[in-house]
Amino acid sequence: MSSVYVVGADLIKFGRYPNRSPAQLGAEAALLALDDAGLTIRDVGALYVGSSFNAASMMGQQILQQIGQTGIPCVNVSNACASGATAFREAMIGIMSGLYDVALAVGTEKNPPGMLPSRKTEGPPPEGLFGSGTMPAVFAEAGMVHSAAYGTTIEQFARVSVKNHYHATMNPKAMYQRETPLEEVLASEMIAWPLTKLMCSVNVDGAAATVLVSARKARELGLSRAIRVRGSALASDPWEAHNPVMFDANSVTRLAAAGAFEMAGVGPQELDVVELHDCFATAELLHYENLGLCGEGEAGALIDSGATTLGGRVPVNVSGGLLSKGHPIGATGVANIVEIVQQLRGEAGARQVDGARLGLAHVLGFGAAAAVHILEKA
Amino acid sequence: MTTSVAVSPRPATGFIRVGEDAKPWITGFRCMDCGAVATEQTLACRRCTSRSPLQEFRASARGRVYSWTVVQRSYPGIAVPFVSVIVELEDHLTLKGTLRVADHDSVHSGMPVRLVFDDAGGALDPEGAPYVGYHFVPFTGDEK
Ligand SMILES: [Zn+2]
Repeated sequence: MSSVYVVGADLIKFGRYPNRSPAQLGAEAALLALDDAGLTIRDVGALYVGSSFNAASMMGQQILQQIGQTGIPCVNVSNACASGATAFREAMIGIMSGLYDVALAVGTEKNPPGMLPSRKTEGPPPEGLFGSGTMPAVFAEAGMVHSAAYGTTIEQFARVSVKNHYHATMNPKAMYQRETPLEEVLASEMIAWPLTKLMCSVNVDGAAATVLVSARKARELGLSRAIRVRGSALASDPWEAHNPVMFDANSVTRLAAAGAFEMAGVGPQELDVVELHDCFATAELLHYENLGLCGEGEAGALIDSGATTLGGRVPVNVSGGLLSKGHPIGATGVANIVEIVQQLRGEAGARQVDGARLGLAHVLGFGAAAAVHILEKA
Repeated sequence: MTTSVAVSPRPATGFIRVGEDAKPWITGFRCMDCGAVATEQTLACRRCTSRSPLQEFRASARGRVYSWTVVQRSYPGIAVPFVSVIVELEDHLTLKGTLRVADHDSVHSGMPVRLVFDDAGGALDPEGAPYVGYHFVPFTGDEK
């Protein structure tokens, strides 16, 4: 199988951009990534764009209208929170196929304001009548299964927010760069037990982009800053007894992780740095176990130990994560990969994980889709 | 004097069925090859992919809480707080619902509950017909 390398990666600062379109945000990220690679849009053979809410508006073509209508094929992807990672993976597959030497993968989003709904249904609005379909309630219920099985406490879930908000103070592109002590996280507005407001991800606008190239092109450009894609897997939710009445964040993530580890020929104990889908604080603890960072039932102890904080054994979400960097749905999957690329290059500044050589990026889309990518310093 | 005309209530959600006597029940579908159950009549079994016709059954009204949360903030206009539960019925069908219970602190995983049909908050369909919905209450063992 031919190798694929990431030679350009960047993102715009996550925040609110009321006067700019998602295409403009995506175009800015695309130019940043091309500049990072030392390439131009004329070098790009294909464009893949992830945008959960905006893909149907021919987002890729709109981006090219901003940066150069070179006539290349555009693939527009909507795959919930996995949209960006799906676009990245399709770009990788395009290079692996031998069709393209250079592909651009962009994730861009302007989220609708407020709490994001799940599915529309017939009959009277189901919210409150038949439990809750809000995302905080869905991930609260997912966390309470872990709590019932292993005694995981609200303090342990809250420590995820403390950690990721701390990490974000070192990321100038994060939406929030302010520490939140445990007492503050616990005292913020209760949304759905055990999730307080500070344990829910930040609903923001944003865009991120990566330039992927073939081995031949990478050698031509020079490998000093190139990052190799060692493993890639995308999964849909396999059958599980409660799914889809109850969202199953676990099986789909485990399926994608197993595929990516197998392709990479490495195990979770070899990872130096991880960006995972902390859409809610409960989710991060579930994914410690789903990704094999600890054994079953040990996630609470892992966060307590400090192993996933910068300076620990396997730092998780050093970018600040979705909780503090922000979660522009379709951009998140690309942004997670950008963070891993910057870490493996040793260019992550104050939040640099010392000597990081192997990293993992994970996202999880409601509905469900999970993507896992394993990257390595070339 | 007006004569009241019995209007058959409409299911507020897809898997409620209403009989000719206006009595509702929850319907489930079981794969005869692997035993998997669901509230939806799918074209094939979502677990084992068998295309043998799924067998429809009337679900049990009793089960246990598999997971829960107390919702303190929901979409604008939705009354809070309320308890959202995932319930595993005795025949393994999974339902999401609202648990009506006075003491929220008493809710726990494994808690026995009973399904009760209701008027879906008094909502009416576009033709003015009432809906039939459901909620859960704690099962104390006293009920018949
Ligand atoms: Zn079956």
